[in-house]
Amino acid sequence: MFPEIIDTNPLRNAIDDGLNWVVRNWGDGFTAAAKPLLDFLNLVQHLLLATPWWLIFVILAGIAWLATRRWQLPVVVVVALLFLGVMDLWEDAMVTTALMITATLTTIVIGLPLGIIMARWARVRHVLTPILDLMQTLPSFVYLIPAVMIFGPGKIPALLATIVYAAPPLVRLTDLGIRQVDPAVMEASRAFGTNPTQRLFGVQIPLAFPTILAGINQTTMMALAMVVIASMIGAGGLGYQVLQGIGRLEVSRGLFAGLGIVALAIIFDRITQAYGRRLQGRIGIAEAR
Amino acid sequence: MRISWKSVLAGVALAAAATVSMPAQAQDATACGTDKKIDIAEMTWPSAAALAHIHAIILDKGYGCNVEVVAGDTVPTSASMLARGTPAVAPELWTSSITRQWNEGLDDGSVVELGDAITDGTIEGWFIPRYTQEANPELKTVQDVIAHPELFPDPEEPDQGRFYSCPPGWTCELAGTALFEALDMDATWNLFSPGSGGALAASISRAFEREEPILFYYWGPTALLGKYDAAQLDLGEVKPDVYACNTDPECEDPPGVTAYPSSPAIVGAASWVKDEAPNVAEYFGKVGLSNAEISKLLVYGDENNADAEATALNFLKTEKDTWTKWVPADVAEKVEASLG
Repeated sequence: MFPEIIDTNPLRNAIDDGLNWVVRNWGDGFTAAAKPLLDFLNLVQHLLLATPWWLIFVILAGIAWLATRRWQLPVVVVVALLFLGVMDLWEDAMVTTALMITATLTTIVIGLPLGIIMARWARVRHVLTPILDLMQTLPSFVYLIPAVMIFGPGKIPALLATIVYAAPPLVRLTDLGIRQVDPAVMEASRAFGTNPTQRLFGVQIPLAFPTILAGINQTTMMALAMVVIASMIGAGGLGYQVLQGIGRLEVSRGLFAGLGIVALAIIFDRITQAYGRRLQGRIGIAEAR
Repeated sequence: MRISWKSVLAGVALAAAATVSMPAQAQDATACGTDKKIDIAEMTWPSAAALAHIHAIILDKGYGCNVEVVAGDTVPTSASMLARGTPAVAPELWTSSITRQWNEGLDDGSVVELGDAITDGTIEGWFIPRYTQEANPELKTVQDVIAHPELFPDPEEPDQGRFYSCPPGWTCELAGTALFEALDMDATWNLFSPGSGGALAASISRAFEREEPILFYYWGPTALLGKYDAAQLDLGEVKPDVYACNTDPECEDPPGVTAYPSSPAIVGAASWVKDEAPNVAEYFGKVGLSNAEISKLLVYGDENNADAEATALNFLKTEKDTWTKWVPADVAEKVEASLG
């Protein structure tokens, strides 16, 4: 065994006591700070639950048609939605979708600027890359239980966990997309006398957009992958059905709810991918890549 | 790798010696009795984890058994024990959530109950913090608390009260949901499921640290109830029939109000343990601890950030009077010698 160099107990006690101190004294502050996020999530959820089911069918199938201009994808979307409805998973699916949409939008707001900054300054990239690795590999319960103690159980820690897990791909792919813009194109834009801001918004971001969209697609998928974990801290939704199925050895319940998550994943994955392909086609780099 | 004849011969000789000495060992009250690996299930909650390590040390050092501690949880461990006879021993098995399968196993002889894990029964019920009860002395029974949802507001819906129920899939989730319905709480209360045991404990701990009121379900013996002073609410008398129906998803009758019966936590084992290692079976017949003793054990682990094994070692070092009664004197000596 490795020799005991220092006694780690004082350190561990200090961390535990420190957390309790934060919970006692700053709990209200943290909860208030996260309130706008919670309000936004509740708004999305109420909106989704208040919308009649057929309208959601029409909207999602319409978006799918606009993305592909073909009949195949809308049919897939309608079948997936029918599965959710028929299997009595509609309400849970909407709760899960609300969490996923809120997490994805928040991730875009945070992740895009981060990715751009990383592409711009190599030093920031050197600092952020290991942090992103950490966010993806640290077992989520390690930071979830402290988050539950600080924010209380429910949607806020679930949202945080989802963002922490789902943000890295978007940040990484934004960074990559911007850095991969053809140097010749950059050279040309410089020759036209553009300033860095014009180059960023006029050249780099538009050309990187398909890659960024791939990042958003990945973020959506990872947010959906987190729903079971999110349910373990009181977020409800499809993951809760999965947990109930596992706990009671009701394989069927777990399987249907699990397939419900897959159905949601298919809908959002195919729609974002289709938009990505359309964009690539429009920019004219579909063949070049 | 080439096999050397010498080692094969030595192995044969050893095996022969072992066979010859078997009957002698079986008579000895301090021998393990079996060469088979006795795998002890370490459940996910602290009391069962500490018990698993205590028994593993005593069987290993005292009886010289081939012991291994394996991770487990109520449903997977019992399912595997019933089907394949491994893990061999579950030192704190709550059979209330697996009644049907467990009783079938007892009937067909695949498993046995070696003894009680917790001698004075287990606690289960609805609690509020002691400071909340002191501030509102009228809150004695569950009905008193239900009349005051405004004291326990739900942060996500402040005009309703929030009751912290059980994680999904646990039997207590069914019981909690049935009581919630039977007590007509739906209009003024929200049933909140924390999603996992960890999240439930963290929510309760948060409330106690902040001295906030909270109405929650919990069970004992646990470190949490040992650490925080909670008042159990009176749920009236135990009605076993009503409880059985409340916790059976197939039962059609409307849910009724009943207290939680003290559910049995036993030492469950695969039946080969009793047949092949009678000394070990006899040992497990004596190892019951009371709620107070287990809480004491757990509070040590909690306050010192000790893991299950360190908690077990501390128990063996400090509670000699308790555990030396479980074993013959020379086994106790061997265990003590190993503790150093």
